[in-house]
Amino acid sequence: MEESGKRGTVTSLASLFPVEEAQKAAKRVEDAIADKRSKLDRVRGFIADNNNLVNLVHKLPEQLSHDIMVPFGKAAFFPGRLIHTNEFLVLLGEGYYVDRTSNQTVEILQRRGKSLDSQVDSLEANIKDLEAEASFFNATASQVAEGLVEIREDYVEEDSNEGESKSGQPREDGPNLGNAVANDGEYARMLAIMDELEKEELAAESGNHSDENDESTGDFDGMSNQGHIDNNLQNSKLKQDSRQRALLDQTNNKIITAELPEKRYHKEDTTNQMNFASLGVQSTAREGENFVESIDPSEKIPVRSKEKPVQSTVTLKTEVRHQTSQPSFDSRKAFTGSIIEHTENIQRPSREQSSVSSQGSGSQSSKPVSRFKMHRR
Amino acid sequence: MKIAKNHQMRKKYTVQLGENELVLKELDLLREDANVYKLIGPVLVKQDLAEANANVGKRIEYISAELKRLDATVQDLEEKQNSKKETILKLQQRIQSLQAGKGKA
Repeated sequence: MEESGKRGTVTSLASLFPVEEAQKAAKRVEDAIADKRSKLDRVRGFIADNNNLVNLVHKLPEQLSHDIMVPFGKAAFFPGRLIHTNEFLVLLGEGYYVDRTSNQTVEILQRRGKSLDSQVDSLEANIKDLEAEASFFNATASQVAEGLVEIREDYVEEDSNEGESKSGQPREDGPNLGNAVANDGEYARMLAIMDELEKEELAAESGNHSDENDESTGDFDGMSNQGHIDNNLQNSKLKQDSRQRALLDQTNNKIITAELPEKRYHKEDTTNQMNFASLGVQSTAREGENFVESIDPSEKIPVRSKEKPVQSTVTLKTEVRHQTSQPSFDSRKAFTGSIIEHTENIQRPSREQSSVSSQGSGSQSSKPVSRFKMHRR
Repeated sequence: MKIAKNHQMRKKYTVQLGENELVLKELDLLREDANVYKLIGPVLVKQDLAEANANVGKRIEYISAELKRLDATVQDLEEKQNSKKETILKLQQRIQSLQAGKGKA
């Protein structure tokens, strides 16, 4: 609901959703819940009746005849006897009756009970959905009352610096090749937004690191077409899993010190990092271990490259970038590409909603990346 | 109002459809020699199982067709409602602007 609106603007939530409106919506959903609840109660009553009937039908044929009081008119009873206790005339519905024995009747009743049970299930699920909706509306109402402000920013495609956009481009290749043509645009947009986010992150966190940042982006320009990525990629792909396990227990400190004395192919490094970073994203999607994965890229580098302390800071930064960008990447998908900055309250419900879909799309994104690798090779 | 009525009818028919489907299922489960009766007015009339089966099948068909028809009419009515709403809105806006003009003059 919040996704529909203008971009690049700051709107107070109250102007989008007046308090009364939100409360009204919540009220309506609650009414619907009450309605469903009464239905549920009725169906439960049916089930209880049904069970009683099953018991009765079970019991009746135990004796040849039962002495009963037969109702006669409204207020009169007279004594009588039930005979033929194993013969039932069962109403199937729509005016159709069938002669059945007690056993057969019980079968019919049990089938009915099953259909009632399924009705109860569906009603309960329905109520759950509605309750989630109601809580969302209530949260919105309270937020509106607090005067929350919604910030939307549109991503401007061309304004990013070269390196970033290039790092985005190759990854975008994957879906173009492998996946459907239809969602290309969306995917590209998502990536673009992700890059933007990463950039912001960088700018915010590294005032003094900015020169290294430039360096790394410059490297991308020079590197993106060069050949030696290939063997690195292959190596990394083959060894990634085993190494991952082996290096898991290393601490961050160790990694840094290991990196310091190294460096030879300065240029290759950064591209490697980028590739590894993307690999890291991929494997995160598979295994869901954020921290471990994001360390990965930097762990690989020591094995292949040497020297230069500057490099290590860059690698660390890429780590950080990806660590932070991963979660937001997930949540972004739910919003179909618009950036919404809120306090946590409002993001949480939507994130919950998206959790299912984000898993699916997460595994989706893993595919394109690997395809990309094959393509480059 | 018409829409609400239509919705009610629709609900009724859906319930009937469910009931009929249940009946059909039960009839399918019956053995050939079972006695089937149909309640017609105050009396139970004995019926062939095959006949009853065919009848119920036909009824389900009819109800589904009816449901479709109702859906179409509901849609139609809603469209009409929306167009009326729009005209009303336009009229109100005109009235407002006219009044504003008067107030100035």
